[in-house]
Amino acid sequence: MKLLTGLLTGAVLMTGAALPMTAFAAGDIVIAIGSEPSTLDPQARDDGGERAVNDNIYETLMARTPDGALVPGLAAEAPTKVDDTTWEFKLRPDIAFTNGEPFNADAVVASVERIINPDLKSEQMSYFGTLKGAEKVDDLTVRIITTGPDPILPSRMYWMKMVPPKYASDPKFAEAPVGTGPYMLEAFNRGQDIVIVANPNYRGGKPDIDKVTYRFVGESGTRLSGLVAGEFDVITNLLPEFVDSVPKSATVQGLETSVIILSTENEVTKDPRVRKALNIAIDRQALADSLFGGYALPARGQLVNPKAFGFNEALSVYPYDPEQAKALIKEAGAEGKTINLVGESGRWLKDRELIEAVGQYWSEAGLNVNYQIEEFGQYLTLLFDKENRPDAIFVVNSDELLDADRPISSGYESGSGFASNKDMDMQAKAQAARIETDVAKRKALYDAITQKAFDDNYLAPLLNVQDIYGISERVEWQPRVDAKLIVKEMKVTE
Amino acid sequence: MGRFILRRLGQGFLVVLGVSLVVFVAMRVFGDPAKVMLPLSATTEQRAEFEHLIGLDRPLPEQFVTFIGELATLDFGDSLWQRRPAMEVVFERLPNTLMLVGAGLGFAMIMALPLGALAALRPGGIIDRVTVIGGLVGLSTPQFWLGLLLIMLFAVQLRILPTSGIGGVSHLILPALTLALPSMARMVLLVRSQVIDELNQQYVKTARAKGLRFHQVLFGHALRNVMIPFITLAGWEVISALAGYTVVVESVFAWPGLGHTAIQAIQRNDLFLLQAIVFTVAIAIVLVNILLDVIYKFIDPRIKLA
Repeated sequence: MKLLTGLLTGAVLMTGAALPMTAFAAGDIVIAIGSEPSTLDPQARDDGGERAVNDNIYETLMARTPDGALVPGLAAEAPTKVDDTTWEFKLRPDIAFTNGEPFNADAVVASVERIINPDLKSEQMSYFGTLKGAEKVDDLTVRIITTGPDPILPSRMYWMKMVPPKYASDPKFAEAPVGTGPYMLEAFNRGQDIVIVANPNYRGGKPDIDKVTYRFVGESGTRLSGLVAGEFDVITNLLPEFVDSVPKSATVQGLETSVIILSTENEVTKDPRVRKALNIAIDRQALADSLFGGYALPARGQLVNPKAFGFNEALSVYPYDPEQAKALIKEAGAEGKTINLVGESGRWLKDRELIEAVGQYWSEAGLNVNYQIEEFGQYLTLLFDKENRPDAIFVVNSDELLDADRPISSGYESGSGFASNKDMDMQAKAQAARIETDVAKRKALYDAITQKAFDDNYLAPLLNVQDIYGISERVEWQPRVDAKLIVKEMKVTE
Repeated sequence: MGRFILRRLGQGFLVVLGVSLVVFVAMRVFGDPAKVMLPLSATTEQRAEFEHLIGLDRPLPEQFVTFIGELATLDFGDSLWQRRPAMEVVFERLPNTLMLVGAGLGFAMIMALPLGALAALRPGGIIDRVTVIGGLVGLSTPQFWLGLLLIMLFAVQLRILPTSGIGGVSHLILPALTLALPSMARMVLLVRSQVIDELNQQYVKTARAKGLRFHQVLFGHALRNVMIPFITLAGWEVISALAGYTVVVESVFAWPGLGHTAIQAIQRNDLFLLQAIVFTVAIAIVLVNILLDVIYKFIDPRIKLA
């Protein structure tokens, strides 16, 4: 073996010495993302790998500040409402796609029509289901038409990337994207890497970093090694336990909220005292500290993201009171009764550990917890089964549009998404809020919904998990609430 | 020989067909792409629409007929994940896997023969003991862990090799070594015990008695007899690498080969891509088996190919 090791080391050293190591130019960085983009068509897929790259190549009518506030992007100002189903956008003048096509009302109309065209089979239609079309008013004014009143249309337009009208129908479009954004594609080597370079004519001026190479590294340990070895400058989804091993790390309040949906109909959980006991039996701070190394915050009594529109400031974290939980379970005569806790494993960070820890708290409160950890497809069947709601089912809601509409329709509105209550008044409020274009009224409806669900313990919201990024010494960056990797906000300091 | 190969190809075709059928059924019974592919917030109508688009709402027998047609034309439809022909993805990734397996197992085979023989010359000697212990360590080390360990040593500590990805020869070394070491350990131990056995045979004593030098006996007779079990094991290692080890190694090193792609296809319930991958790997395994039979014949002319 000594001989063997000697030979190997020798061979490796010689080869290694003969090859130049990755040499960085001053303004170049390497970003390691977890999965390879399936395509670089910005309108076809709902794919985080694709967004990581295209968020730098394309722009949208509306944008968000790093802290999540909605601001005009390619639009010159916030849109105005012409009537209940029509929104008018004024566009910034003198903007062109990097292939020379002008960005104007025609481009907006083409972008909207392309994405809602059934032929594209766009997975992003879950964001754009309310869109009917768009029409040009003049070169820099465009109207977007919805099928019914849609108060979150401005937020939706933060998700729709504007594509060049002519080139977008070219078969090469999915491989060689062209946008108005701060970066342009230089190379897409499938399986290997993607390289983008600064757009010298970008409307906000040429960005700081000249060139970005994206590498696709699924294994978190390998991403970590690459960062420590100096090959990568930014890595995504750093595990909490590795934070101490990287040169620098940055965290930001993430989009995801974990929750356990409690059924208001099933035998044991229909008793409000039991549901309250289930909520106060959980020590959320302990879960955040032990499972996520402190990189998570106890959810404040609701599924709505703290940075999203509709977040109810009046609610607080359910208190941890194991004694009262025990008493309530006893009082309800539920002691020793069985409760089914349904979940899955591997889709979300530490999901199984979280489910089992919660089940442990519930056992301590006096219930007999039956864990039902399913394969993901089977789990989804249970999650969306409208007829037979599980006693308790774990799920993680991600709030990309930073608006209460998705968490409310998924977790609160009876008969929709994965809600497990039969509260018809709440259902009516949720449906009213969806088409309420008066901002204050809509907020009031959401506040009423989340307050009621909090009081009646429809849900056991668990944690808001933080996103953790590993960053090399030479890069300065503050991650964004919306989890987008916007390179123009990064700086190289050397 | 020609007829033999034709017959084996025929049998191989049946094997490939059988494997493809298992995948066809398993993917449809155990997975539901319409659920896994779409975001959690998608509506029931959107899911039904998606199922219709990819043809999974049709009766199973009808899908099966389409599938047989696809097999015949080597067109497995578009990958759900990459939205381009599944075979295009396979042909793009296959060379990377072949390169990795070739380099890794080629190295393992070349190293295993002399090391095993050297150890066998003095059973119980220093070289032998080191080889046996090294071999046992090698074959009981999980590849996943070994890969990370090599990355830590050569890429993070010494910084002489890249951690992951594909590029020049330097990118190939660590994944190839990770793939090679456990296989090499098994092969070294096999060669060692076989050579020890052979050297104790009567014919070795006869050969020595008639005046042949030791190295003539070793290379001319003993090692030649060792070649048959050695090639059998080597072939098995190649097959295991194609069907399994590369999945782990490629994932650890973000090496864009078939194994890594298979994992991604499974995660995304991309049954069309997975069908294409399994089909291709099955063909590769059949070909390796035929090649093995031909090599046997080449080593030992007494073997009849039937």
